[in-house]
Amino acid sequence: MIKKQWLQDLKAIPFLLPFFVAYMIFTIFPIFKGLEMSLYDWTLVRKIEFVGLENYVNMFTDQHFWRTLWNTTFFVILTTPTMVLLALGLALLSNLNTKLKIFFRGSFFIPSILSVSVISFLMIFMLQPYNGLVNNVIQMIGIDAEPKWMADQGLAWVTIVVVTLWWTVGFNMILFLAALQDIPESLYEASEIDGASRWDMFRYITLPQLIPIGRVVLLLQILASYKVFAQILLITGGGPGGATRPLIQYIYEVGFNQNNLGYAATMSYALFFILLILSIIQLKNQRSGEN
Amino acid sequence: MKKGFSAFIGVVFVALILAACSDDSGSAGNGVEIPKGATEVVMWNLFGGGDAEYMDEIVTEFNESQEAYFVNNVQQEYDEYYTKLLTSVGSGKGPDLGIAHSHVLPELVSQGLVTNIDDYAADVGLNWDEFNQNVLDVTIYDGNNYAVPIDTHPEIMFINNDLVDDAGLLNDDGTPNFEETPEGFVEFLTSLKETLPEDKMAFAFSSTGEDPYRIWWALYNQMGGEHLVSGDLDNPTYALDHEKAIAAAEYLYDLYHTHEVTPLDLADFYSDFQSGNAAVMSTGVWATGIWETTDDLNFTPMPFPNMFGQEAAWASSHTFVLPYYDDADEEAQKGAVEFMKFATDNGADWARAGHIPSKDTVLESDEFKEMPYRSEYAEVADYVKYVDRTVHARGIQDIVVRNLDTYWAGDATAEEVFAMIEQEVTDLIAE
Repeated sequence: MIKKQWLQDLKAIPFLLPFFVAYMIFTIFPIFKGLEMSLYDWTLVRKIEFVGLENYVNMFTDQHFWRTLWNTTFFVILTTPTMVLLALGLALLSNLNTKLKIFFRGSFFIPSILSVSVISFLMIFMLQPYNGLVNNVIQMIGIDAEPKWMADQGLAWVTIVVVTLWWTVGFNMILFLAALQDIPESLYEASEIDGASRWDMFRYITLPQLIPIGRVVLLLQILASYKVFAQILLITGGGPGGATRPLIQYIYEVGFNQNNLGYAATMSYALFFILLILSIIQLKNQRSGEN
Repeated sequence: MKKGFSAFIGVVFVALILAACSDDSGSAGNGVEIPKGATEVVMWNLFGGGDAEYMDEIVTEFNESQEAYFVNNVQQEYDEYYTKLLTSVGSGKGPDLGIAHSHVLPELVSQGLVTNIDDYAADVGLNWDEFNQNVLDVTIYDGNNYAVPIDTHPEIMFINNDLVDDAGLLNDDGTPNFEETPEGFVEFLTSLKETLPEDKMAFAFSSTGEDPYRIWWALYNQMGGEHLVSGDLDNPTYALDHEKAIAAAEYLYDLYHTHEVTPLDLADFYSDFQSGNAAVMSTGVWATGIWETTDDLNFTPMPFPNMFGQEAAWASSHTFVLPYYDDADEEAQKGAVEFMKFATDNGADWARAGHIPSKDTVLESDEFKEMPYRSEYAEVADYVKYVDRTVHARGIQDIVVRNLDTYWAGDATAEEVFAMIEQEVTDLIAE
């Protein structure tokens, strides 16, 4: 019997091997290589010399590191709560038994399947001053203004947050929607017999049932938001004047334009640790919540 | 339904595997067939848009002109071009022939990624004396030629003849009527703005990115400013003259904010000029190739006005480089240099893209002189001011462009912006 189990495990190996090899080469190896790089003065072409923790020490006094880390964090603060609420709201809307159910689900989800370059250029097109759609509509309804959606420091953030919400809310909505449909109908029936109002049902049945998936969405959202890069690079280029430049853009510039892969790897590790700590806190929270 | 779906997934999967396994030996992987007996010279180019097709034609002409070599022209994505070039040459897997902008040469030379071309040049009869000296200088390091300049491409100015004429500001000889002084140029733009109908703009120009940076650099040099950094390639010192740098930036700032002759934050200032909605615009010479293929656009290119004493314009050059390998294929390298000679001898073909050819012999040829527009700005090659030679050139440009953007947007004063530039550049070059 034991031997047979062993044989079964062996049979699994050829199926697991391709992924395992790819995973080792493209994920695990670069992680350790990056750690090594962060300890060296390392250009795009070759490693120059071992500098120990010098890159890490420099990082703590590098104002651009802190500025861009703050920009990224600011983005996380802006998008995470709005994303959770919006995803929940849209999920509730698409869960209603109306004739528009399929339309809602489709139209909320479709942006998620577009690539970042497509959604970015769509937005640039719509938001450009003087002849963009949005400003024309604003002027059509009688407001005499020419908002600079991508060039004004405050508005640039609004643009990026709105674009990101619109683009990625669909996936989170699906998660909520799946959880909504998992709530047993019997709970609602029982509460109805007990005379609960619709609000009571939402407050005491729906919301508590959604908390586990809510935690997952929250964690995924924070991790994803900390990695924000592409849509900012494409829409504002980190501008105006670095006002929306996220940490990953700075890492990219240091690595590939300033030819300093060692320091770029160092900052990547800093981001990695931030994400690691946030994930641990979240997971711990989740466990204590389940107990 | 379900069966159909799994069949579909199966087909996609098999297709992916086949694509991953497809055989690309024997060429650079782009499926080009190398003629028998010819030595393949793999060339990477960074051109996109209008330029690429002209380089393609030159390559085809070269391949048809002789049988010993075959240049395999592989177009690379511009955004990642230098990352790819540096890393692949560094690991011995790059092309036999590369193209690099002049401001990236210091990185390539300093890291030992390109070969001194002098020996091969003597071999194939590439005559350095035929080149424009100002342009050739950007390729010489420690007295050796590390690259062959293809062209120089300065930032110049274009006017829409019809609009300038409508405003009554066109001379009989087709030149715009204004005094080449700081006040004269402002007056010219202001009267365009006042005379032209509301839906036309005086000056279509970007208020972010590289274009205003290039004009700032030109004005800074016109005022007698010379460097941003100077000295050693690897360890330069900060050398920006803040007084002139600020004055140059303020002149441009006033065009946006005080005189309001150029609207802020235009999304696409090329299309504003191309569609005939702007009287003046400024960008690189490469736009010439775009404007002349645009129907009903009656335009004249000209140097950006020299208003502050010295003649100066921002420019960069495309250059051919010979990547360095320990076990380089000498035959392919020789073929590469043969092609460099051929391409620069046929600089008039390349000039169709708008660039100014690197060889004086081409500039003086009838073929070039007969081309429309080009001779209007060819003289700029004699006084272009390249950015400083340093391995940090790309990093410095990022810093300056980003900080100037803050100033154009009105979010900081010129003094604050240049203090920031000084600090950031000093930090960068101290590394």
